[in-house]
Amino acid sequence: MPLDDVRVIDLTQGAMGPFCTRVLADYGADVIKIEPPGWGDPARMLPPFLSDEPGLERSGLFLFLNTSKRSVTLDVTTPRGRELLLQLARGAQVMVESFKPGRLAELGLDYATLHAANPRLVLTSITNFGQHGPYAQFEAESLTAYAMGGSMLQAGDIDHEPLKTAGRITEYQAGLSAALATSLALLGAELRGSGEHLDVSLFETATHSIDSRLGRLLGYEHGGHIAKRQGLASMVGSGVYPASDGFFFFTAGVQYIVQMIRMIEHEELLAQPEWSTAEARAHPDRIAEFPQYLLPWSVTHTMAEIREACQEYGVLGGPLNTIPTLLADASFVERRFFQQIEHPVVGTQTYPGFHFVLHREEPMPGRRHAPLLGADTEAVLCGELHLGAAELATLRVEGVV
Amino acid sequence: MRDDVPSTTEARLPLAGVRVLDLTVVWAGPYATMHLADWGAEVIRVESVRHFASSTRGQLPYPPAPFVQATAAGGMGYPYDEAGARPWNRNAIFNAHGRNKRSMTVDLTRPEGRDVLHRLVATSDALIENNLPPNIEKQGITWEALSAVNPQLVLVRMPAFGIEGPYRGYRTWGNHMEALAGHPLIRAYPDLSPEYAPTGVPADAAGGVAGALAVVLGLRQRAKTGHGVFIEAATAENFVPFLGEFVMDYSLNGRTWEQMGNDHWWWAPHNVYRCDGADRWVTLCVRNEDEWRALLDAMRRPDLATDRRFSDMACRHEHRRELDALIGEWTAARDAYWVMYRLQERGVPAGVVMSEVDALESRHHAARGFFREIDHPESGRYRHVGRLFQASETPHPPPRHAPLLGQDNEYVYKQLLGFTDEQYHEFEASGHIGMDYPRE
Repeated sequence: MPLDDVRVIDLTQGAMGPFCTRVLADYGADVIKIEPPGWGDPARMLPPFLSDEPGLERSGLFLFLNTSKRSVTLDVTTPRGRELLLQLARGAQVMVESFKPGRLAELGLDYATLHAANPRLVLTSITNFGQHGPYAQFEAESLTAYAMGGSMLQAGDIDHEPLKTAGRITEYQAGLSAALATSLALLGAELRGSGEHLDVSLFETATHSIDSRLGRLLGYEHGGHIAKRQGLASMVGSGVYPASDGFFFFTAGVQYIVQMIRMIEHEELLAQPEWSTAEARAHPDRIAEFPQYLLPWSVTHTMAEIREACQEYGVLGGPLNTIPTLLADASFVERRFFQQIEHPVVGTQTYPGFHFVLHREEPMPGRRHAPLLGADTEAVLCGELHLGAAELATLRVEGVV
Repeated sequence: MRDDVPSTTEARLPLAGVRVLDLTVVWAGPYATMHLADWGAEVIRVESVRHFASSTRGQLPYPPAPFVQATAAGGMGYPYDEAGARPWNRNAIFNAHGRNKRSMTVDLTRPEGRDVLHRLVATSDALIENNLPPNIEKQGITWEALSAVNPQLVLVRMPAFGIEGPYRGYRTWGNHMEALAGHPLIRAYPDLSPEYAPTGVPADAAGGVAGALAVVLGLRQRAKTGHGVFIEAATAENFVPFLGEFVMDYSLNGRTWEQMGNDHWWWAPHNVYRCDGADRWVTLCVRNEDEWRALLDAMRRPDLATDRRFSDMACRHEHRRELDALIGEWTAARDAYWVMYRLQERGVPAGVVMSEVDALESRHHAARGFFREIDHPESGRYRHVGRLFQASETPHPPPRHAPLLGQDNEYVYKQLLGFTDEQYHEFEASGHIGMDYPRE
């Protein structure tokens, strides 16, 4: 695997940072997750829990975000904990952290110290607003970040409030971006023979996003336009329409409207002046005129029938699925995308599959379940840092591990 | 690897010396190659002057004026709402992700075009594409064919749903894949029909970063093994982990979430609130008791601390609409920035719902030097977003403008592939080489 010679010391907690190291682990990295003794990563106590009963090893969020990692408990705020962490950093290629800017320095673990300990180390810092700048100490979560960085002002209906994206999508985008940053910096470190400090900002990865934001920012530069939330349809033959058993999202637009007209059995329109030429079909008045043809067709077909018709005619579209209908979807089932992973506490559960797959003679390696809190403390500290059993016992009593 | 690595600061970028053939279209693919070009790869867009790839350099090669006006604000517009003589060189979204790339043209539907591509593949490190699998495979883009030409090649294919599988011929954009993955139904308004659900495209943003990561990991794998690498990054599959906790809740508890709008699973308040001005909004969120007290302090509403409807997080969540109404009254006559700063000062996550102007004029972005100006010969001088992240030891050379269609044909055909002037003119005459799309 591409990263099977890379060791990552993972100081991140919550969602954004662990999403990054989860991806690195998927492609072979040995991710050692450093957790505070006692309760560990606070994500262990975030819902959803199996049967809604809280417990350190029962959080679906934690289980999802920490597959294929190892867990070591270590209090890095103590002198001995810090010393052991530096020892681990000496044997690693990457350290990932998501503390507030300045916290790492307070712990005596700023980049200069880490660089002195291991000149080739890549330090990836993932924060809400970056390491410096007037908002560096601001608080944020997915809602804040999407509002400030993303296209929230354009998301939703013009007569109603703007809407966020679901769940933690914006934070995960920062996490995936940090995985790309880390992988690029590994190549750079190998070329230069020395590491560097990466500054990944949730605000910037959201602003950067091609979720219309990039083009719209340039659109403002081009002509002073501020994009608004749309009404029901922004392009001809486009938008969410009711089907007989749910809802279906279409995009025809000027490129595919002819295919859509054929799909909904209104070929006669193509003989009328409003619809016969590309220029006529591109007229903005066509947008409001088209639902009278599309709606009667959509409500008399099921989502599956519409999807098949879209495939046949080359019209862009997708059903508004729920998670259970996604899990049952023909493509995801046939391609065996979802994975069953067994865990000693929650049993066998269904997890989303890999972001991408390497096609090789051997299949992608299976994922390991998220580690139990401190499951690898002894193996790492005694087996690799050669701590004696007596010292480990003392450190346990002192609460360092 | 290239033997003409520039000796400038660009040589110190992590992908310096890596040549990537870019057969991507629309958004996710070009966003992937934007990162590769930003970090030093020589990205050569392989385009066709015979076949206009829709939604890549605009929606139409020659958009009529009313269409240009109607789509001006959607990110698909043109400078001063004028498509110009060669609209495909002036389109906002293309120019937003096209920086630092080169462009060559060749018609891959003809055998001699495929021969040109094979010669290019032989001298390149990676090829990346995100086209409809049956269509692109007809043009000879398969692992079998390309690895026979260059066994060291890193090939990244980004189909929508999969190279194989029942949807291999299913044409979609990121927002349709998202619909199928369940996103719009979760984020739809709680109190309106799902017909009003937003259909944005974080799947394209996610797919772009994943595609770039696949190329980088492929290059690293090749360096270790000495063999080419074939990676499949289906954009729809890549997006599903972004809904990971929803999948887990269904698996653990059989629970589904629909029409959450701006609600959080358990935090309240967690919403967007109208502020003074036209379409001005601020978001805020309370995650614990400290933040709750800080919010009440900012609002000067100590009386609410003893209101039994809001006595703990569960109560606040249950009565969140009443709470939203109280907060909305407080924000309605106030400036969105005033609310954000007043709450952030007290440690409460609050953020202005930023328009394009807010983003471009943000003092935080300015302090970090996030936006960079790029001068484009047919479009003008504009600010563009910076690179995806900042790196302490990697130089940041000034970005080059997005390529004009076919601007690097001479470089590619003559310098890289060694064709003579005479052969070059033949390719020109036969419609492989050009800088204009035909008028229908």
